[in-house]
Amino acid sequence: MTVTRWFGLLIAVVLATATTSPAVAESYPSKPIKLILPYSPGGIIDYVGRQIAQYLGESIGQPVVAENRPGAGGITGTDVAARAAPDGYTIVLMDPAIVINPTLQPSMPYDLFKNLTTISIVSTSPEVVVVAPQLPVKSMAELVAYGKANPGKMNFASAGVGTTPHLAGELFLQRSGVTATHVPYRSIGQSYPDIMANKIQFAFSSIAGALPFTTDNRVRPIATTGTKRTPVYPDLQTVDEAGLKGFEVDLWLGVFGPAGLPNDVTTKLNAGLQKILKNPSLIKALAKVGVEPNGTAPEAGASFVKSEFQKWKKVIADGNIKPN
Amino acid sequence: MDIQSYITLGFSIALTVQNILYCFLGVFLGTVVGVLPGVGPVTTVAILLPISFTLDPVSAMILLAGIYYGAQYGGSTTAILVNIPGEASSVVTTLDGHQMAKQGRAGPALGIAAIGSFFAGCVATLLICFAAPPLAAIALKFGPPEYFSLMLCGLIAAIVLARGSILKAIGMVVLGLLLGLAGSDINSGVRRFTFDQAGLADGIEFVALSMAIYGIAEVAYNLEKKEVATQVARHIGRVWPTWSDIKLCIPSVLRGTTLGSILGVLPGGGALLAAFGAYTLEKKIASPPRRFGEGDIRGVAAPESANNAGAQTSFIPMLTLGIPSNPTMAMMIGALMIHGISPGPRVMTDRPELFWGLIASMWIGNLILVVLNLPLVGMWVKLLRIPYGLLFPAIIVFCCIGAFAVNSNAFDLYVMAFFAVVGYLCLKLDCEPAPLILGFVLGPLMEENLRRSLLMSRGDPAVFVTEPISLAFLVVAAALLLVVAAPAIRKQREQAMQE
Amino acid sequence: MSIRAPKDFWSGVMFIAFAAVALVAARNYSLGTAVRMGPGYFPMLLGGVLAGIGVILVIRSFIVSGEPITPVHIVPLAAIVLAVALFGALLQRLGLVLTLAIVIAISAFAGRQTRFVEVLALAGVLAVFSVAVFVYGLRLPLPIWPQ
Repeated sequence: MTVTRWFGLLIAVVLATATTSPAVAESYPSKPIKLILPYSPGGIIDYVGRQIAQYLGESIGQPVVAENRPGAGGITGTDVAARAAPDGYTIVLMDPAIVINPTLQPSMPYDLFKNLTTISIVSTSPEVVVVAPQLPVKSMAELVAYGKANPGKMNFASAGVGTTPHLAGELFLQRSGVTATHVPYRSIGQSYPDIMANKIQFAFSSIAGALPFTTDNRVRPIATTGTKRTPVYPDLQTVDEAGLKGFEVDLWLGVFGPAGLPNDVTTKLNAGLQKILKNPSLIKALAKVGVEPNGTAPEAGASFVKSEFQKWKKVIADGNIKPN
Repeated sequence: MDIQSYITLGFSIALTVQNILYCFLGVFLGTVVGVLPGVGPVTTVAILLPISFTLDPVSAMILLAGIYYGAQYGGSTTAILVNIPGEASSVVTTLDGHQMAKQGRAGPALGIAAIGSFFAGCVATLLICFAAPPLAAIALKFGPPEYFSLMLCGLIAAIVLARGSILKAIGMVVLGLLLGLAGSDINSGVRRFTFDQAGLADGIEFVALSMAIYGIAEVAYNLEKKEVATQVARHIGRVWPTWSDIKLCIPSVLRGTTLGSILGVLPGGGALLAAFGAYTLEKKIASPPRRFGEGDIRGVAAPESANNAGAQTSFIPMLTLGIPSNPTMAMMIGALMIHGISPGPRVMTDRPELFWGLIASMWIGNLILVVLNLPLVGMWVKLLRIPYGLLFPAIIVFCCIGAFAVNSNAFDLYVMAFFAVVGYLCLKLDCEPAPLILGFVLGPLMEENLRRSLLMSRGDPAVFVTEPISLAFLVVAAALLLVVAAPAIRKQREQAMQE
Repeated sequence: MSIRAPKDFWSGVMFIAFAAVALVAARNYSLGTAVRMGPGYFPMLLGGVLAGIGVILVIRSFIVSGEPITPVHIVPLAAIVLAVALFGALLQRLGLVLTLAIVIAISAFAGRQTRFVEVLALAGVLAVFSVAVFVYGLRLPLPIWPQ
């Protein structure tokens, strides 16, 4: 073998490594990505998660496999993502419970800020305030007035201690000065028969949960909790409009990964999510359950998560809400 | 449109080649998962939910519904042949069904289960057609006090129907209630009885617990017997029951169907309570001679009719109110929402093809089940007529896979191992596990409804007797207790148990 | 004085043991008020009732006679319980096929009379069946081979 041939081989090897090593990083994703859905099939996260998995998979060229890992109010599934290798192949879709759990639970298997990376907030959805049809209440102002005239007489439903419907209700009581008894259910859907029968007077419900009951007036929607009105109930005031200034409850959803994700992986996933959130057919699919796309950059998402964490921490502290 | 044209519409939808195929696939899969211990309809429906996204909503519902009621058939097959309830609702079928199999009458047991189920299925389907709206209105009146009293009534029924000592049966119910409380308490958020184990945060997994007791513990118990003869009935006899069997069973099937149809409509009731209730009722009112627990064919006919009727009518609150009565129905609602349909009374008017197509497919599905299952009984038997030495490792393996599949969590296997030991002790000590299972299922629901009732009444326990429906259930419960406690009847009961 | 109904006696002991665990674990849960019943109320009530039933059973077992308990065979029980626990511990590391082989080998040991060839054949058949039905058919997320 001649020196030239050795040299030629050397150059070939160098070239090969030079071209392949960035190619390895560029080639993410090179295998299917697992999207953890920390709740059982049938809920909003499950529905939105499967839609996102399908569109994201088509957009970034590798299948995105949705996997339900329910348990402990979303903690089990989130923990799977927090413990996964930071390679971008295990990510999780979560709702506000991810910022509520750390304040509410006495012990957590992971640290929200140390073990998780915010990849993007993907959607926003207000809650809708529903009241029993028998109640002489047609608006938020009337609910407050009725509540003040009948102190301690009303009940409000939730999906369990520390869930968004519970905390939204507590926030409402704190802001309005109304007193009412909190009655927890396993899910907000389970409470509707009792709302229809006026055993429960009001509830802060997800739009998806409320729609079947508000379309034929078995319960009465009176307000929504976003910063602006929702296209699902265009005639309903927001709670803010109704006089409780700054009252906002958002059932947002966000995609998270383990801490230490390489920047380019985060960027790539974020870009993929931003792109599909502009797809009209995905927007239409999300609108069916009252969810609107709301993509953010990773940094903006992270600061949103922080502000949501602070907001609910205060509500929990002010209401002295704790497992007891 | 009148009801007749709606039914015609339903059949025109259900009888398309595509929908017959999905109906067949659904009931076949349902039977298979019903036969296989450890894989239930809930797991299967959950797994098939993503596949159903690609189908049109009517076909998706037909497929998923088929799995649910098909499993009621399959569950009874294993209950009778190997004494393992394929589904929780087949637990009571093991009592007399397996006794019949041991006496070489597995064939008639399977036959009457299929015939009773078919009859009940037809009646329940008709019932959905004609009575969905008024029945839904009744169930809608139920608040927390009514549910609490209903469940209390159900538990007392479970005690009454238990074999052997009443004291032990009460103990097992209470133990079941306690075990059911493990996990996060929804009223306070406190985690109870979790012993700092993340795997217990949502409580003891029902599949792991029931498989431990009915699968693993049974295996350990059976292996102790001197000759480890096959537990599968060797001789099944002719499948078609004799005319005298059928005549004996007609009232039982009618009672089971009626009770099952009513209990199925109630959320939280469903097929399980229906089967328990029907068996208890049968024990109390079937005309003598009674040999329940020892292979009385009426002890198969009544609960099998009831659980199938209950499985069918549990669609009523889901379809008319959008309220799930059990986890499978919750998933059905999820499947509908994925297709942009909000379950509720409007489904009947806005999407008549969906509502009536599904109803019509249920009737077709029941027909397929009978046609499929009576000849296939031979196949199940061949499949199960394997020496016990080869069969029991398979039972252990299926239980393991089933317990793991629910949450993909290794911890559930440790739970299953622990309760296998408990279940073994219960078998050794003559403590019947069925009341424990019922207590386990109803425990958290009862506590929730009790606490909810008291929250709403601001702490006044009188609410349970001032609500008329609740009071009625309590009166029935008290009557049942008196019946068992009365010395004369108790003596009779003990005598009946010893026969 | 001697135990005349051993089944009742040991059932009672079992109930008392469970009740004791429940009462000890529930001692820190709040009992709550009449309106808002605490998380400790129901467990305490049930634990008390269960303990009471256990005590009655134990007392009665000295008075009313009953059947003896059939002898306990500890080896098959222990082997089967071990097999179940090992399935949980090994599945995600070894995959379904190897885990099944181990579980079936231990189970067969519990059954004693099974021959080596049969065990091997059984493991093979069950592995193929499980992979086909559960992994490919029902799409359960189970690893097939070691990862």
